[in-house]
Amino acid sequence: MICEEAIKLMDGYLDGELDPMTSQKIEQHLRDCRKCEEAYEAHTALAHAISRGAPYYKAPTELRERIQSSLRDAVGVRDSRSAARENRALLTSPRAERRLVLPEIPWNWLALAAAIILAAIIASSLLSQLRPPTSDQFLATQLIASHVRSLMADHLTDVASSDQHTVKPWLDTKLDFAPPVVDLSSEGFPLIGGRLDYLDNRPVAALVYQRRKHFINLFVWPAASDASKAPKTITRQGYQLLHWADSDFNYWAVSDVNVNDLQTFRQQFETRTPRH
Amino acid sequence: MALALKAQHSFETEDFESRRKVVKFTVLRKADPDHVGGAELASFEETMLPHLDAAHNLARWLLRNEQDAQDVVQEAYLRAFKSFGGFHGSNGRAWLLTIVRNTSYTLLKKNRAVDLTTTFDEEIHATGHESASPAAILEHAEDAELIRKAMDELPVDFREILTLRHQEGLSYKEIGEIVKIPAGTVMSRLARARAKLKEYLAVRIGKER
Repeated sequence: MICEEAIKLMDGYLDGELDPMTSQKIEQHLRDCRKCEEAYEAHTALAHAISRGAPYYKAPTELRERIQSSLRDAVGVRDSRSAARENRALLTSPRAERRLVLPEIPWNWLALAAAIILAAIIASSLLSQLRPPTSDQFLATQLIASHVRSLMADHLTDVASSDQHTVKPWLDTKLDFAPPVVDLSSEGFPLIGGRLDYLDNRPVAALVYQRRKHFINLFVWPAASDASKAPKTITRQGYQLLHWADSDFNYWAVSDVNVNDLQTFRQQFETRTPRH
Repeated sequence: MALALKAQHSFETEDFESRRKVVKFTVLRKADPDHVGGAELASFEETMLPHLDAAHNLARWLLRNEQDAQDVVQEAYLRAFKSFGGFHGSNGRAWLLTIVRNTSYTLLKKNRAVDLTTTFDEEIHATGHESASPAAILEHAEDAELIRKAMDELPVDFREILTLRHQEGLSYKEIGEIVKIPAGTVMSRLARARAKLKEYLAVRIGKER
């Protein structure tokens, strides 16, 4: 391969988007050509600088509320709070409402029909909430809630450090088990820190990793002996959940990165975790 | 299901004497959707709201203005909801970002045609050579403000592709689908965007000295 070709394909190589054959050819060329290797190093550094340095503009809370209310307007559903407010007003101040009353409509049939319809709506919405979730679904809900809360309340970490030898001892002293902690910076998943959390009726360790501008919460707690060891993925509300287990621990990784990134994360984590 | 109706009537005794009991109805919802619409909305929000930050970030980079970005994102969510029936894929983020991008471009075309032409200040950037070395660029690599300013100066299609790749971590294929170009073009455009950014960074670093 000549330099010109290597330079042309360098971005694809850097982004891991080339086919294995071409990738290998470039790798070979970079070993042989000092100049191209330097160019590649500078290019990698620039790419990292963009990923780390460019500000990520998160949506303000008001925007979320604005969107939700405009969607409700679009579908014609009024949110339950304002409906409840009106119902209260209705019971407490009948006099104020009287001006609005339309004459000439016999009340009994329509009122009866309305009451039945209202009751049916209330009952159906209550019933859908009462459906018992399965244990996995319930855990998934807890995991996502915990992940979202950690990002929302600015309480991502209790101990912020990219050094596994700081995070691990800290967690060890707070928990009745010693979770494995590894830094995966060189694999593109830098360790941000650790946190205590409470899930599945027990204190658990939450390790926080970063993938570009996204965060991965890895929840770790001791595995029950009969727990299934098969990896499992769940997608909910746009979040990816990936579960696996080894002889000692249960792992649940939660993030909004794509499934492939999360799978890579698991592989790297498993490779770097000492085997028992 | 039937229309949802709300009934109310007065309880005061005087009404019995003065006139027949009357009742007022308010139509709470438009025809039919009390289940269909609600359920669809819930499913839409569950799938799409987690990508609100990504949507806002992309719009903000494309429009370089917070108010416009918010308006576009709101509009994009409404558009997305209307065509949600046509969404059967698994990649909600890419689907939503496509709509955010289209909505942003509509606004850019309407209000600021100048933003769409890939002109930039030739005066500032007419140096023709890099006035800072790659090593100097790397020294400043942690300077977020510098990178933001340099990125903001890039033409819109470069800002777009850098955001999608570096901040959202999307694959060439996904980027190609959002931007509507082949994957090969994604690579060459990314290369040009990075080279341009490097050049701008070099000029800025050179000026600081």
